[in-house]
Amino acid sequence: MSYVAGYRRVLVKLALVSIIAITVVACTESEGDGDSESLVIYSGRSESLVGPLIEDFEKVSGHNVEVNYGSTGPLAATLLEEGSNSPADIYFAQDPGGLGAVDALLSELSQDVLDSVPSWARDPENKWVGTSGRARVIVYNTDMLSEADLPDSIEDFAKPEWKGRIGWPPTNSSLHAMITAMRQEWGEDRTKAWLEGIMANEPKVYAKNTPTVAATAAGEIEVGFVNHYYLHRFLAEEGESFAARNYYTRSADPGSVVLVAGAGILNSSDNKEVAEQFLKFLLGTAGQQYFAAQTYEFPLNENAKPANMLPTLEAINKPEIDLGDLTDLEGTQDLLREVGALP
Amino acid sequence: MRFPWSKPTDSSVQQTQSGAVSNPSLSEDTGVIHLENVECSYRGSDRPAITGFNLQIRPGEFVSILGRSGAGKTTALRVIAGFEQVSDGYVRVGGQLVGSSFLHVAPDQRRIGLVFQDYALFPHLTVEKNVEFGLKDLPKEERANRVKPVLKLVGMSGYEDRYVHELSGGQQQRVAIARALAPDPVALLLDEPFSNLDRQLRSALRRDIKQIVAETGATTLLVTHDREEALATSDRIAVMGDQKIEQIGTPEDVYQNPVSAEVARMIGPCELIPGVYRGGVVVTEAGVFPTRVTNGTSLSDGRQVLALMRASELEIEPAGDETQRTATIELKEFEGEFSEYSVKLDSGTVIRVRKRVANGMEIGDRVRILPRDDAAVIVFPA
Amino acid sequence: MTLTDVITTGWRSGDTKRPPLFLVVSAVVVALAAFIPVVYLAVRSAGSGSEWVDLVFNANTASIFGRTFLLIALVTTISITIAVPVAWLTVQTDVPFRRVLSVASVLPLVMPSFVMATTVIEVYSPKGILQGWLSPFGVDRLPAIYGLPGATLVLILMTYPYVLLTVRGTLRRMDPSLEEAARAMGYGPARTLFSVTLPMLRPAIAAGALLVALYTLSDFGAVALLRYDTFTSAIMIQYETSIDRTLAAVLSLVLVVVAVFLLLAEGLTRGSGAYHRVTVGTVRSARRVALGNWKWVAFGVVMVPVVVGLIVPVGVLLHWLIRGLLNDQHLLPLLVPARNSLYVSLLAAVVTVLAALPVAILAVRFRSGLSRVVERSTYIGFGLPGVVVALSLVFFGINVARPLYQSIWLLVFAYGVLFLPAAIGSLRASLLQVSPRVEEAAMSLGSSQWRTIFKVTVPLVMPGAFAGGAMVFLLTMKELPASLILSPIGYKTLSTSIWSAASEAFFAKTAASALLLVFAAGIPTAYLTLRGHGDDSEKQKREIDLEEAAR
Repeated sequence: MSYVAGYRRVLVKLALVSIIAITVVACTESEGDGDSESLVIYSGRSESLVGPLIEDFEKVSGHNVEVNYGSTGPLAATLLEEGSNSPADIYFAQDPGGLGAVDALLSELSQDVLDSVPSWARDPENKWVGTSGRARVIVYNTDMLSEADLPDSIEDFAKPEWKGRIGWPPTNSSLHAMITAMRQEWGEDRTKAWLEGIMANEPKVYAKNTPTVAATAAGEIEVGFVNHYYLHRFLAEEGESFAARNYYTRSADPGSVVLVAGAGILNSSDNKEVAEQFLKFLLGTAGQQYFAAQTYEFPLNENAKPANMLPTLEAINKPEIDLGDLTDLEGTQDLLREVGALP
Repeated sequence: MRFPWSKPTDSSVQQTQSGAVSNPSLSEDTGVIHLENVECSYRGSDRPAITGFNLQIRPGEFVSILGRSGAGKTTALRVIAGFEQVSDGYVRVGGQLVGSSFLHVAPDQRRIGLVFQDYALFPHLTVEKNVEFGLKDLPKEERANRVKPVLKLVGMSGYEDRYVHELSGGQQQRVAIARALAPDPVALLLDEPFSNLDRQLRSALRRDIKQIVAETGATTLLVTHDREEALATSDRIAVMGDQKIEQIGTPEDVYQNPVSAEVARMIGPCELIPGVYRGGVVVTEAGVFPTRVTNGTSLSDGRQVLALMRASELEIEPAGDETQRTATIELKEFEGEFSEYSVKLDSGTVIRVRKRVANGMEIGDRVRILPRDDAAVIVFPA
Repeated sequence: MTLTDVITTGWRSGDTKRPPLFLVVSAVVVALAAFIPVVYLAVRSAGSGSEWVDLVFNANTASIFGRTFLLIALVTTISITIAVPVAWLTVQTDVPFRRVLSVASVLPLVMPSFVMATTVIEVYSPKGILQGWLSPFGVDRLPAIYGLPGATLVLILMTYPYVLLTVRGTLRRMDPSLEEAARAMGYGPARTLFSVTLPMLRPAIAAGALLVALYTLSDFGAVALLRYDTFTSAIMIQYETSIDRTLAAVLSLVLVVVAVFLLLAEGLTRGSGAYHRVTVGTVRSARRVALGNWKWVAFGVVMVPVVVGLIVPVGVLLHWLIRGLLNDQHLLPLLVPARNSLYVSLLAAVVTVLAALPVAILAVRFRSGLSRVVERSTYIGFGLPGVVVALSLVFFGINVARPLYQSIWLLVFAYGVLFLPAAIGSLRASLLQVSPRVEEAAMSLGSSQWRTIFKVTVPLVMPGAFAGGAMVFLLTMKELPASLILSPIGYKTLSTSIWSAASEAFFAKTAASALLLVFAAGIPTAYLTLRGHGDDSEKQKREIDLEEAAR
């Protein structure tokens, strides 16, 4: 079969191309691979969000930074697997849950880093700090509802009149954090009652916040329980005609609890000085302004102001909860399983 | 073997054995290929494919193994080539022990040329590369010296750069032969090499092989189920029954004196009809015939026997008034020089008879069957 | 027989039925490597003590079990029902635009799981694009696509090409005289199809179905977005939220058991037939079935999966891209991720095929209990979620092979573990086509087993190697979870770019990367389809036919 000989020719060509490609790649491969001067960050926050900020840090500080982007959860699992051999210096998580999971691997932060943020926005054991605030909101469809139609408290959504109109992402860690806050504020029984009420209202289930917001604007659901900043992303991508807006609860209940994304320094890091520099950068004016303007989150440093279309942190009716108290994720998940929200 | 590149020698067999303990008297005694009491089972079963198998092939001989499909003849060939292991007995090639129950020399060490039924040419190589494949131990310049003459020998000169799929069946087979011969093997084994070719091609190729073998003095073993092939090409035929050889001899000998009914059936078209032996003649439904025995057994009176009825050894005459031991002409096939008649006995058995002159006997006529020229009919104990 | 005979010729050397040692060793090494995830899971699960009994044997797990099996059963049967007719139509009939349809019907394979799921949701959700088109007709809401219907749809679209490819390969090689014999005996076309063709396709269907089932078992992206909870959902929730590796490991081990069960099931259907042509000579090319008036109906039938699985998703991506560009969205730098994707996929393809070679040769030529176990055990990686494989290699890398950790080689290793079965399957199919007589001929010409394998067997399975390599290439291009975890820091690929953009709702960026990936992965897919398993025998068959006619 001469086609086999034909394959030989293709194979040779392929081999040549590969060799050339590999050589090119090898030559253009960035320096700083395994460079001990580089700061290594494991980031559960996506590149499109925090990439530019990290680049800024590189320019300002002159240090090289390498970032491992991934999902908060699997990254935490990876850190746990790596243990003391981990090359990571900083773990930048989307929520306190991830940081809590690797608690044993983090080292205590210095006081001036800790003092840059309000006390509710950092680890009581001083192992991590919040870097920006994310408020829980109820996103609602503007064609079908106006803000006046919405109840004061998130607790009211458990009432039967909301049947078939709600959507939520039950596997989302921010939602879990909010429910943990509910358990703190309201106690176990009241929280369970609320959950059962919601489940009785047959909420539409979504995998993440993003599809929840999209579905709300499309009219598939009328309200959704999400984090505040997704709406603004949609507004930027699709314009003002996007048919959804955020509602921050009028009463101070867990429905508007402010969570944080946060970061901590790994014990195994051999670059702790630069790591601390980075944290200070995140919490400094430049970093905080970035979060305000680019990701539509709430800056935690009082010297920075949130974006125009957002309320200030003080204006939000948030409950008085220490984020350090929101560590019992397991309890929340058990509860969710009990009511059938989780498998 | 005598190839254009062969150095003149008195025993090419020893010449080509590399690193062997060569013992001239041994190879004279045991032949180029010698299977002694060999038993070999089918893979994954206890049932032997061949058992008590004895065969000796002398240098320069052309031997055929004739047998039905599944009789084990291919197994015998594979045993010689080294693709099957023997569970009993000894296999010797070129005087050297290569196979026994405790020993197995790998096929790539045996220097045996193989030609397969489906040619098994290398599809990814040209004809030239195919033929060259077995010459890896030769320096490059030497190889061309072998390839060209051997391709010429098989009539495929000029095809060096073709690929296998560009050749017809007959051409492929020739290349396969060239490939097998190029490394100057101890012997050439052919496994039903013509069964995939059409009739005309078959005879042509057969004659060509015979010529090639004669020219090169190759020791050859041909395995086939086609009796014509075996009879036409061989110096000796080994007729295989179930698992072992029933008879070995020259074609003429085996044809004229088959030692069993089994052999007779395989060696030529015939019928075997039951009869009773009575003092030198056999009494059958077809008539009474003088007998002869080929396997040395002595028959007692009244013994049940099978009588061998060969078309070329029989004659028919109009039956006239005779009613006993007559037959009816059922079919007449005119074949030019003679006619072949199918005559049906009362019991329904049909016997074919060849008659040179068509003397007006027609279908439906009643006839008597006689031995031609009073030749004796072979009988076998039933 | 003398003593000298024995001494000079050696003792039981060169047993042709026993495989050469180097082959067995390399195959076993490959199988052991593919087993690393299982070892990891065992180690992690050991931490649960006796808890695992509660974890496994409770009502929750049982219901997940049921749901997973239901999904696998549905996806597998429907995929087969789609793939077999499409294969037959695109190989053996004269349906219009046959070659284009052949490639297009396989292309849904290149879609990353969550991209396909997202586009399906975008289109078919109760207030999605389709509803928007239908609203003038008074359709206010479509029935909910989430849950079993949506998950089934997405998985079918992504996996039916597995069956399509294997069945196509067999159909192309099939000897037409068998079907012709049936026709001559009075079997109508339909009856011939059912009594002759389909039984001969059984091994191909089974092989493809195995891949479908294992993929469905391992998939996370689609089932997560469509909100249908299977085993992988339960495992992933552990990783994403409570970070309980022990529970996740225990559940993953259960998943391994399920995978083994699927493997055994497929093994039972395999039988022991020889597929290399026993009849000699060349196979005449089959005449294409003329469809006559049914041509365009057939076209329509084939177009259904093409439209739903390829045209619609690509359409949605283009829509996002254009809308985003019109709103001045910036696209991620795409050149570097594209280069990285191509490079690492190429590397993965080469390494995986090389690793698959000894396993395939052992499995086909030297069949034994050991070779079967070796071959089957490599399939487990394909059924495991990417996260599990990745974490197991983190574990392996950190504890055993430190220099390899976070190098590109560990990533390639992971791809190998994940996609080895794809390469093995193609190599097997190719090798089964080679008559053992050819190898015996080589040996009779003085070639040792080693030399025979390198000079004869390997060249002859080139077509299978290329097909396997193409398959691994495209699977690697779209792989996500393992890439995220094991990529060297800062190493971006197209698929991680897509994920990065999608997880933050940057639709235009998602679309740009996704379209580029579909295009890049589409090329080997087109190759895979048109060349099949490399049996481009149509051209050769025609040549022989002409010669025969001339004589």
